[in-house]
Amino acid sequence: MSEQVSQLLDSLREKAAKGELLYIGENIARVDSLEKVLGKPVYTADLIPKGTLYAKLFHSSVPHGTIRAMELGAAKAYPGVLGVLTWRDIPGLNQSSAVLPDRQLFAEPVVRSTADILGAVVAETLPAATEAASRVRVEYTPIPANYDPMEALRPDAYKIHPKGNIARQMKIRKGNVEDGFAKSDVIIEKTYKTQFQDATPLEPEVGLAIPEDGGVKVIGSMQSPHHTQAAVAKVIGLPPEKVHVIQAITGGAFGPKSDETPFDVCSTAALAAMKYRRPVFCGLDREDSMVMHTKRHPFVISHKTGVTSDGMLVADESMIVGDTGAYASLGVFVIVRATFHTVGAYEVPNVKADSYLVYTNNTYTGSLRGFGGPQALFAIESQMEELARKLGMDPLEFRLRNMLVPGKKNATSAVMDASCGLPECVEKVVASSNYWEKAARYRDQTGSVRRGLGIALLMHGNSLGPEGNDYGAVHMEIESDGTVSVGTGLTEYGTGAISGLMQVASSILGVPLTRFKLERPDTTKHRESGPTVASRVVVIGGNAAMKAAEKLKGTLMPLAAQMLKASPGDVALVDGVAFDRQNPSATLAWNDLVAEAYRRGLNLKEEGFYMAPAAPWDTESGQGTPYVQYTWGALIAEVEVDTETGYYKVVGVHTAYDVGKAVNPAGVLGQIYGGTVQGLGYAMMEELIHKDGFVVNPNLGDYYIPTSMDIPAEFKAFIVEVPGPLGPFGAKIIAEPPIVLPGPAIRNAVLNATGVSVDELPVTSEKVLMGSKARPSPLAV
Amino acid sequence: MTRRVISLNVNGAERSVQVGPLERLIDVLRDELWLKSVKEGCSTGDCGICAVMVDGKLVNSCLMLAAQCDGRRVLTLEGLQNDLTMKRLQGSFIANNAAQCGFCTPAMLMASWDLARHSSKPSTEEVKVAMSGILCRCTGYYQIIDSVKQGCREERR
Repeated sequence: MSEQVSQLLDSLREKAAKGELLYIGENIARVDSLEKVLGKPVYTADLIPKGTLYAKLFHSSVPHGTIRAMELGAAKAYPGVLGVLTWRDIPGLNQSSAVLPDRQLFAEPVVRSTADILGAVVAETLPAATEAASRVRVEYTPIPANYDPMEALRPDAYKIHPKGNIARQMKIRKGNVEDGFAKSDVIIEKTYKTQFQDATPLEPEVGLAIPEDGGVKVIGSMQSPHHTQAAVAKVIGLPPEKVHVIQAITGGAFGPKSDETPFDVCSTAALAAMKYRRPVFCGLDREDSMVMHTKRHPFVISHKTGVTSDGMLVADESMIVGDTGAYASLGVFVIVRATFHTVGAYEVPNVKADSYLVYTNNTYTGSLRGFGGPQALFAIESQMEELARKLGMDPLEFRLRNMLVPGKKNATSAVMDASCGLPECVEKVVASSNYWEKAARYRDQTGSVRRGLGIALLMHGNSLGPEGNDYGAVHMEIESDGTVSVGTGLTEYGTGAISGLMQVASSILGVPLTRFKLERPDTTKHRESGPTVASRVVVIGGNAAMKAAEKLKGTLMPLAAQMLKASPGDVALVDGVAFDRQNPSATLAWNDLVAEAYRRGLNLKEEGFYMAPAAPWDTESGQGTPYVQYTWGALIAEVEVDTETGYYKVVGVHTAYDVGKAVNPAGVLGQIYGGTVQGLGYAMMEELIHKDGFVVNPNLGDYYIPTSMDIPAEFKAFIVEVPGPLGPFGAKIIAEPPIVLPGPAIRNAVLNATGVSVDELPVTSEKVLMGSKARPSPLAV
Repeated sequence: MTRRVISLNVNGAERSVQVGPLERLIDVLRDELWLKSVKEGCSTGDCGICAVMVDGKLVNSCLMLAAQCDGRRVLTLEGLQNDLTMKRLQGSFIANNAAQCGFCTPAMLMASWDLARHSSKPSTEEVKVAMSGILCRCTGYYQIIDSVKQGCREERR
């Protein structure tokens, strides 16, 4: 053994002897990084076998109407076309919906948006299918359409669905806001609006179906293979066990791939594969993806907030309206999460919130990273800034007085416990940004180029909470060569969370991650584990992995003790070597231990299952503990604005997140950088523009997402670790939260630099300039 | 439409393929030559993840017709698996968590390799410019920039 290796082992043994965690908090390379940097053919479209047919979806060309006639002759006659599938070709249920059964796979007889899919052309090649699809002619009888959720809410509005235009309603009643407003010295009422955001995973939605054993095998890009299995089975009219779903390595997801679009492409491919008895690929190109998949809901949020003259929040009344487009999708849960976060990370004694998820004839919206959080926090953090300015109080000082700390209560009256790491997060970003000095300096600026700081604070509920039972199962099997094979219905789509889950198991077993391998999520092999959403893999899946690893350890440790002739309590397993703490020179290699276990026929296949504790809340008052724990965060953005043109840039970002325990710090930072930059896009440039129900800019030339040239030169990210009660080793979720804060922080920074309140995202230079011109003295702060 | 045979050098090997006049380079690379590291993200030249080298220049293979490549040299990530500069960059990407979903990674590596050939110690700004034609939606670019700087540095050590 080389000296280096023995030193490493010594240090690890020392760690184990002290009861410290192995591998946790270390930047261990992800299990999937090698195949990715080698460019291996592992994504769905790379797996298309020769002889595969292509299915091209075609969609409605009116936002609302009844289909009068569909002319398919020209498409069917196009060379290479096998046929055209419409609702008539569906042997099962014509349904493709996640929660409410309000959406068909192939719309008939009514289309409610331009994203409504009418059918698919199946051809020998993709160009043939695409060309033929453009030759489908459909005639519609128009129906009055509604593109404004506030209009759709009116009692006399045309009903887009039979039950009316409200897909979901929710409320919060804490204390009594009328009493609160009576006690307030200052009351501000304002309305904030947010835009459609496209998730833009670089790999669009794709599915490949291959006939198999009287059923079908479906390989696709998705977050939730078991949900896809159920959706496909429903459409093709076979029992779920005849639909074998495998999640291929997935090129980004961010929410829409947990929603209904993966159902659409996989069901269509499966339908065609069953019909033509050949493999069929159904994939969306970028334009189709940006039209057909779910976007982030535009929200209209009004706040009436009362505060005392010494800057204490007393009451907040909000109305939250989310535009879900023509279908509810996972929006029914998005609106709930937004409502629970309506006053953000602050204690407000009296809260009243009423929220409505409203159908319109826009393209539909649904799950997207942050899940209602970005909209809710844009509104409340903007409102906090307005209040501080009205009070003449420094916005940080105002926040410090009102923010949640242990002992305080949030909007649902949940009492914050010692796991609330918000104060530490604020401390980090205030110090890093040199806030007090700069804020004072920027108060007396002259000239047209001005700087400003903007703050936003985060509370983000962990666990599915109101969205359903939060559980996960992890299958773990030690192979005869000592490889630890891990399989789960939870999925990896880029975040590294599954590697994190495996790192937890690796820590428990004392075997390095390099000896682990990940099985592809497969509905024939792995238990249903709920949807892979809400950033819950490390926290919930990590607990399940821990249980499986502990069971395996329970089998192997007594054997190791026997082989080492040591007492079981003295045996430790470190970096793949078992040893006797009393006699550290006596060692046993992992491979030899596993080989002996095989000889003795010991069971080395285990499953860990974990279900999060219940998160009860009262549906009438919205009071209770809808989340088991919270992730905390703070962000200070610094902008430089040219007040003559409105052009501005973000020159610095200082941000801190309390993640409880960073299982893999590089992975956590990757989520912070990536989420913040995606949030920066949401704040500054991204808007999927709808005009009369049509998406105007469904391409990456007209819909801007941040490039490497758009990222701030200064970016300081801090990890705070105040352990929470839920996750392994105190871990809290991190993938979604970083997208939330850039919107309000940048908006507030621009306000502090220019005096211009932009109340509608994105904060474009045009809006800054127009706001500046509307002011009596454009340069006055 | 008539198809004709073109000859091109792909990853060091002379290849002859039959192509139609509208066939794109990306389709020939992916479907005929089975070079799946070349990814398609937008088909309009906006995302850059189909980037390959043609005669020493980084191009979007979705915007180039295959017929334009007659007699030219095409290089994809598959052709650089034994290249020391590429190996260092790949190692650096792994060490710095620069590949999340991995879909832009081959193109990012091609752009980095192109940069590394010209610059042993690029500044952050130079790396940003070199990456600017390729979109990444996961990383926010910071860990990629770190990887490229590190990978380029090690090259001439």
